[in-house]
Amino acid sequence: MNYKLLHIFRNTPFGRETFLQSLYFCKTINAFPVAYIPKSDKFLMYFSNDAVQVDLDHSYLTSPDTAKGHAEDLFKEMQIKPMFYEPKNYTASTLPDISTNFDYLCCPRSVSDLSSKIGLGHIGPKVRRIIKHSTFPILITSPVFKPWKSISVFFGGSKNALNALKLGLKIAMSSGFALKIYTLLEKQDESYYKDLIKKEGLAEPVKQLSSPWHFYEKKDFNKMLYDVPHDSLIVLGAYGHGIIKDILLGSKMEQIQSTVTNNLLITGPYCSVEL
Amino acid sequence: MELSVFDLSKQLGVAQDTIERWVRQGKLPVFKKGINYKFDTKELKKWASNHNIKLKFSDKTDLPQKQEQSIIPLSVAVQNGGVYFDIQGHDVNSVLKASIEKISKIPETFKTDLLDRLIEREKALSTGIGNGIAIPHPREQLSYLESPLVSVCFLDQPVDYKALDNKSVSVLFFILCPALKMHLHLLSALSFCLRDHQFIDFLKLKPDFAALVKKIEIIQKTNPI
Amino acid sequence: MSKIKNFFKNLFRRLFQLDDRLLLIIAGSIAGICSGLAAVALRLSLESVLELLHPFRQYGWAFILPAVGALLSSFYLEKIAREGAGHGVPEVIYSVSRHGGLLRFRSSYSRLISSFLTIGSGGSAGPEAPVVMSGSAIGSNIAKFLGLNDRQRITLVGCGTAGAIASIFNAPIAGMVFAIEVILGEWKFVNIIPIAIAAVAGAQVSHAIIPDQVIFNHLPFQVGGADILPSLGLAVVTAMVSVLFTKVLRQTGKIAKKSSLPFWARAIIGGSTVGIIGMFMPVVLAEGYHSIQSMISGTFSMGLFFVFFAVFAKIFATAMTLGWGGSGGIFAPCLVIGSLTGVVFHKMLMVLVPSFGCASEGAYALLGMTGLVSGVMQAPLTGIFLIVEITGGYETILPLIVVSSISSTMSHYIEPASFYFKELIERGQFLRPGTDARILSDLNIRELIETEFVKVSENMVFRKFIELLKTSDQNFFPVIEDGTQEYKGVIQISAIRKFALDPGMYDMVFLNQIMDTNVMTASLENDLQEVLDMMDINHMDSMPVVENNRFVGMISKTRILDLYRRELIMQTSDH
Repeated sequence: MNYKLLHIFRNTPFGRETFLQSLYFCKTINAFPVAYIPKSDKFLMYFSNDAVQVDLDHSYLTSPDTAKGHAEDLFKEMQIKPMFYEPKNYTASTLPDISTNFDYLCCPRSVSDLSSKIGLGHIGPKVRRIIKHSTFPILITSPVFKPWKSISVFFGGSKNALNALKLGLKIAMSSGFALKIYTLLEKQDESYYKDLIKKEGLAEPVKQLSSPWHFYEKKDFNKMLYDVPHDSLIVLGAYGHGIIKDILLGSKMEQIQSTVTNNLLITGPYCSVEL
Repeated sequence: MELSVFDLSKQLGVAQDTIERWVRQGKLPVFKKGINYKFDTKELKKWASNHNIKLKFSDKTDLPQKQEQSIIPLSVAVQNGGVYFDIQGHDVNSVLKASIEKISKIPETFKTDLLDRLIEREKALSTGIGNGIAIPHPREQLSYLESPLVSVCFLDQPVDYKALDNKSVSVLFFILCPALKMHLHLLSALSFCLRDHQFIDFLKLKPDFAALVKKIEIIQKTNPI
Repeated sequence: MSKIKNFFKNLFRRLFQLDDRLLLIIAGSIAGICSGLAAVALRLSLESVLELLHPFRQYGWAFILPAVGALLSSFYLEKIAREGAGHGVPEVIYSVSRHGGLLRFRSSYSRLISSFLTIGSGGSAGPEAPVVMSGSAIGSNIAKFLGLNDRQRITLVGCGTAGAIASIFNAPIAGMVFAIEVILGEWKFVNIIPIAIAAVAGAQVSHAIIPDQVIFNHLPFQVGGADILPSLGLAVVTAMVSVLFTKVLRQTGKIAKKSSLPFWARAIIGGSTVGIIGMFMPVVLAEGYHSIQSMISGTFSMGLFFVFFAVFAKIFATAMTLGWGGSGGIFAPCLVIGSLTGVVFHKMLMVLVPSFGCASEGAYALLGMTGLVSGVMQAPLTGIFLIVEITGGYETILPLIVVSSISSTMSHYIEPASFYFKELIERGQFLRPGTDARILSDLNIRELIETEFVKVSENMVFRKFIELLKTSDQNFFPVIEDGTQEYKGVIQISAIRKFALDPGMYDMVFLNQIMDTNVMTASLENDLQEVLDMMDINHMDSMPVVENNRFVGMISKTRILDLYRRELIMQTSDH
């Protein structure tokens, strides 16, 4: 189908790794990538109930004259036709509007503490806001390009997690890679989760596409993270059940994101995934 | 009654994206059920009358029933019309008259009128299309008919019909329809059959009702329409 | 716990769902109060800084002050708040037209700080535009917090604006009129009540905190019939001055942009220039409310020639401040320039006709202000109501109307777009509801595409295509490549009529021989205006939409007409 991914290109070696990851992702799931080469260090995304300004750090504006050429080379390396995004509307002369009509958005990995901002682009805390409002999943890439060969869904039972599961199934179908589901048993037992899947009518696809479902006790969280193969795409929902807990203790997403180096595909509350 | 975004988009004839945009812009009365938007028909009616927009909330079956019913295949029309043999007569008018007398589905009161129309049509241009076949039909629709009919009449003796190939005619296919569109469709289906030389030969054998209908059914299947 | 939450949610929903007027009034007054507070905060801090810096003005190095201020201000905006460049008010109007009034939270305070730095150090700008921007952003974010839809959010943005202006000038009607005339652009019944209440709330906040309004005290004036003729003359003069002001502003802005100096260098240059001028003519510095007050009360003590030059000096100083890195608005400078113009006019009148029984100098200062506001911002109603509220009476109404209408008409004739709208119009982003441009921008190409199309392969034999034609009612058939499903071209029935009726061709031709590959296609990224232009240039009634080499659907003019009408009805109805 015609799925589009927006990638904000950074003309540095670090950006190259990220971009290769986006290209690989698109190629694997049959989507097509569109690269945006920033001409100003900020842009605005208007969602239906929020306007999010993303401030890019200066590494995004490195050597603008070579940026397009480098991007085209990378496109060609992955044998994808080069497509670029040019913003049409500007809120202010240095503040372009970026359309939200995409199916996927790629952000580089963010670390939540400011001290590690080095060369990572200060998209940092903004990623959370984008995830909160966007109607599309966000792809957060690993620091170095590594082709993923399987899909791991973290299923916690929340609405977001169901979306993540559906997305994982979709990707498994279009890529042909194996799907594994990981669940941390918080308060319920295995049958609760299995019933949940059945209620959503996902029992069949799950049976077909995924290898055994891995359940872990709450205390084995780190063990679970290690068990996820290093070359797997992790799909998860943004918020779990307890929002207060998220704010105070840092959500699972943040924990996962700062521990594992895999690529993450995150679905926010406004995403809706259809099989 | 509740309507979903999809239903409303169909009602108003706009895309779903448009409905979602109008909701976001605050132009439609809406309430949320879970994460989906739903619309209440009462609210919508009030809103529509305020804005001079026509909305139909009646059931789906309330679509205006046009005159045309669904397409009836040729074989069924022939079954309706019937097959008749040994029609007497030695010229166009007399065979037409004799055939009409025999066709049961035509109400008695209209028979004379129909005859006149058929004769008028023949005067304008002969309906003998060649190979011994003619397809008499009136120019106007016959609203007194319930359903379309194709009546097949085998003549006792061949008649000079001033046909296009100048051969005499021995089979008449009457096409009588309540609606023009039906007429065109049956005409097209019939001409498709008549292009088949095997069928023409088959007709020469004066087959009976059942055999003829069956043959037509077989040929119909190969017609893509 | 969640049961109680649900109960309140339901209560909230029932209370406000069906009739959101109550909700808007409450939220609107909150927005008005908050923006009023912001306005008061800015004014008070400006007052105290001006007093603080006053003793230093006599020193020789004092001209540096505005430069320092402009430098700090642009540094703050660029690096810390990371706001875009720009005046602010066009951004609010842009967001109201295109995105239902969504404004970033940082806009609620960033411009307050930056304009404080600029104006406090002496830069020639006004605090109104920053306060309008803050007020609008406050209204917008309150709407976001309450999860309101676009229409309600726009109303709250208007409330914030009205509260801000009402608070600064202690003039609620002017606040309301400004919000509706400039920001919203439409007088809709649903909007007026919350905005009016917000304006009153803002004015009350200001009145409560600054009880004895030293500035803009209400003074009565004696204006007689003799003033009608001079008013006409003044109107013409203010129109000229307005046009001059607008042009100078634009030019200096252009020059600054073209120069390749980094932003801090520009700020320093601009600020120093203002500082130097200010050494000789202190009237050009800062927002000038004190000067206005003294002009109105007739206690302004500059001679005719000085005042004459002051007009141009102030124009130039404002242009240098705003164009070269400072942050602020043009409202207050308009008032200052306007009153200076009025004073000059009056003085000249007195010189030419010494015994003319016209009104006092102060009255002419007021009329001048109206003339400038109407001319530069092309907001005649705001100008009239502002002055009426300042004077507290209607004696001046007749000459006010004369000056206001003539000035705005004349400057409109020369400069068709007001200062606020010009850059939006240039970008094609001036989208008032119910206008063609607005409808075309609201309608998304995705809403117009018809996707139900049977596609045909490029290797199909023509005969097979003819068979297909019998059962289809399409006039366009997209042709795709077999393996990749890529779009190759289109078969337009009207174009292949002669082939379709020639049975001899049926077995001789494959579809890729008769398809049209030169048909102009649109993509999902095009906006409707572009698509319509393409159709007009190529005389097409229908156009295929292709995305990433795949056929998505067709856009036809008939469908556009249906949806255009629908949209127009939706936008202009009285909901």
